[in-house]
Amino acid sequence: MENNLIIQNLTKQFAGVSSVAISNINLTVKEGQLATLLGPSGCGKSTTLNCIAGLEEPTEGVIRVGDFTMTNTAKGLLLPPEQRQLGMVFQSYALWPHMKVFDNVAFSLKLQKVKGDELKKRVMDSLDLVGLADLADRYPFQLSGGQQQRVALARAVVTRPRLLLLDEPLSNLDAKIREQARVWVRELQQRVGITTVYVTHDQSEAFAMSDMIAVMNKGELLQFAPPEEMYSHPATQFVAEFIGATSFLKGVIASMDGSRLTVRVANGDILKLTDRSSKSWNVNQNVTIAIRSERVEMAGAQRDGNILNAGVKSSTYLGSKWQHVVDTGSGSLKVETVDTAPSERMSLYLPPDSILLFPEEK
Amino acid sequence: MTSAPLTKPRFSWDRVVQWSMVVLTITLVVFPAWPIVYQSFLAKPLYDQGRNFTFSNYTKMLANEKFWHILGYTAAFAIAATILALAIGILLAVLINRTDLPLRKFYFNLVTIPYYVSPLVLAFAWMEMYGPQGFGTILVRALKLPTWQLYSFWGIVVVSAMYYIPNTFLYATSSLALADPQLESAARIGGATPFQTILRVTVPLLRPAILYSALLTLVSALELLSIPLVLGNGVGIDTLSTYIYVLGVVGVSKDYGAIAVVAIFVVLLVTVLVYLQGKLTTLERRFVTLGGKATRPKLLELGKMKGVVSFIVGLYILLGIILPLASIVLESFVPFLSPFANPLKMLTFENYQGIFSSPAYRQSVTNSIYISIFAAGIGILFMALVSLTAYRSTFKGRGVVKYMALYPRAFPGIIVGIGFLWAFLLVPGIGSLRNTLIAMSIAFIMRYLPLGFSAVSPAIMQISDELDRAGRVGGATWLGTIRHILLPILRPALLSGYIILAISFLKEYAVALFLFSEGSRVIGTTMIELWKQGGAEPVAALSTIQMAITAFLIFGSTRLLGVKLHGK
Repeated sequence: MENNLIIQNLTKQFAGVSSVAISNINLTVKEGQLATLLGPSGCGKSTTLNCIAGLEEPTEGVIRVGDFTMTNTAKGLLLPPEQRQLGMVFQSYALWPHMKVFDNVAFSLKLQKVKGDELKKRVMDSLDLVGLADLADRYPFQLSGGQQQRVALARAVVTRPRLLLLDEPLSNLDAKIREQARVWVRELQQRVGITTVYVTHDQSEAFAMSDMIAVMNKGELLQFAPPEEMYSHPATQFVAEFIGATSFLKGVIASMDGSRLTVRVANGDILKLTDRSSKSWNVNQNVTIAIRSERVEMAGAQRDGNILNAGVKSSTYLGSKWQHVVDTGSGSLKVETVDTAPSERMSLYLPPDSILLFPEEK
Repeated sequence: MTSAPLTKPRFSWDRVVQWSMVVLTITLVVFPAWPIVYQSFLAKPLYDQGRNFTFSNYTKMLANEKFWHILGYTAAFAIAATILALAIGILLAVLINRTDLPLRKFYFNLVTIPYYVSPLVLAFAWMEMYGPQGFGTILVRALKLPTWQLYSFWGIVVVSAMYYIPNTFLYATSSLALADPQLESAARIGGATPFQTILRVTVPLLRPAILYSALLTLVSALELLSIPLVLGNGVGIDTLSTYIYVLGVVGVSKDYGAIAVVAIFVVLLVTVLVYLQGKLTTLERRFVTLGGKATRPKLLELGKMKGVVSFIVGLYILLGIILPLASIVLESFVPFLSPFANPLKMLTFENYQGIFSSPAYRQSVTNSIYISIFAAGIGILFMALVSLTAYRSTFKGRGVVKYMALYPRAFPGIIVGIGFLWAFLLVPGIGSLRNTLIAMSIAFIMRYLPLGFSAVSPAIMQISDELDRAGRVGGATWLGTIRHILLPILRPALLSGYIILAISFLKEYAVALFLFSEGSRVIGTTMIELWKQGGAEPVAALSTIQMAITAFLIFGSTRLLGVKLHGK
């Protein structure tokens, strides 16, 4: 795997702004994989993407695909976007309204002096790939949002670019179409086998589509990991909070035995947990524990403690399930049930393997 | 891995073009400005040998009582004309756009007519109709009714206001169209009557538009030459612009130092106002609420007053616009115009024959047409590239371009003309260009750079920048993106910008007054020449020719090419 996308020490500071837009980003996307930059708006994910595209000039850093260096600030190298041989799909699709679908897709090829039958073949192949070959003669405004999005994708891959950059390409689609689009964008990416960087703020999109996810916040890369690892082992409290419905309780480490710890929460309850992070802990250290709402169980046959009694504060019907916010006396927890809440009070079991442990944030 | 060879960026013309636009814009502004500053410190005309620096031009002018008197008079005139133009313009905008006024669609186009007519023509038209020997004045006098004196402060104010009303009207109209109708609906739901809604919500929302167009009108009135010149010259009324004109063109001994000092004074005054206006534009965003325009709010019902109000508006249009312009057209076809002689029995083409039989006069018409067609075409492309550099490039100097491109607003036309004239005299090697249409075209383009720039910029900013980004990532250079993507999309905006520029070039006279010479006359300069010789009928013929070409441009572009000239 030679042609990995490698980003080193990428930093971008906008003129006249004291805080950095992105700070010291390092990541490697393996050839043929799809990596997602995920984070809330303003986290720097789009800035990172634009730096890769050459649309923005980073203050510092190296960006290259294999041996092809696109940005190297130390050597004063900044290739303009048109010389990077990339494909990109924008949030608004950015189809040129005065060109037919065919001409939109043909644009880059024409600039590369591809002519005649070859031009036609490659454009139609690309449109075939997205299933829109019969719409080649339409203008963009004659297409639905989903079709426009597919044309944008055909246009982005027609030149067989080094990288495919996707900037929230599904965010303008209706919820229903968006879920279908996820599947086929991912299929197309895998079929073409193109290294892809995908930007989104939608975590379910990120989980559905990615080989790797990079969670960003305030310009920093917090964690870069495969989706399952990201979910089960979030590196920071922010990541845990951003991904999934997670509740947090403050507490103090009561005892330690290797990776097995107990934490005392505010009202004195002791919770056992197994820590799988490589962080070091001390007894009496202030910590925050986190648990996903779907991991909290109704207390029943469990025999190893970890039971919290809680009063139901509010219940929300979500269609497939109920979500309750309950008060444990040590803080609020989000809990899910299939049926409506059994009573005003619940007895909850927190499985030791499902509890995450973070140092208390200042 | 890190030792991989680096691909060097290929050369592209992007930076070269961006640099050229920045340099050209700055040059275009500085070129006519510096000789004026230079001259203001010289005792003798700047092309004379032996250049002695002195402050005496300033001290003399500041001690000159006449100068202060003229300054006060100009300020009073400009403020009065602005207030009148605003009051009538906004009233008309609300009546025509927001009420069920009968004939309002018909009135809309008529009200905007003076926008397309040269103020010089408007001055002549009012003179023909309402001057001391005017058709209307004589008629009223014959009916033993009290008459008026058009050649007076208030005469000049009224005619100038007539000229500016379309501006204030159109500005208020577009501002009304931008306002979110939901704001009005909310007032109605909250219990306000339609009339209260207009008074408490609609008009207050216009406040920035009112302030903005007030300053725009004030700036323009301060430098207005034609109307004060035509109506005030005979009775000894001077404004700063006519003063410069008299000092430089009419005066026996031309005092170049004095001209320069007055010019600098005017430019500084206008700069302050333009600066304030710029501040207002940013404040304005607080007010203008762009929103869905899907539902138009219900129009205010005028009720029983409907007929009367419509009649008054119609009378205003008839007496203020139609009759004066019609009288000047009619006059161009008769030996003389008088209520005591039936004009229809004296119809003749003599006035036109007179103009077309004189090579110099004929040339002024063809020159104007050439400038309208070619200089405006080159101009709009240049202004589009400047605007694209300012708003659609990563070029470091783009901020400077925005200011520079708008700065010529601070230069009254007559001063632009003087500046270019002197610059061509001073810079060695280009003196031979001075009397050519090339020099004239460059001066016109400089004068209208802000107009073209602000006509094209909003259209550019409306295009999502993702479209150019997609072009860049797709392999096009900056210039390639402009050629293949932005210019095709901008075509309608460029076309309407071109027509607006062509009409403005056709109307322009002030820039040409100092700059023209044998061979580079334009319609405006010939009109003033003929007027000074006392030939009202040839002036009427030229005015009619100018209006006919303008009408041709407007109808040709709006009907055939579907161009929209205002109300974007």
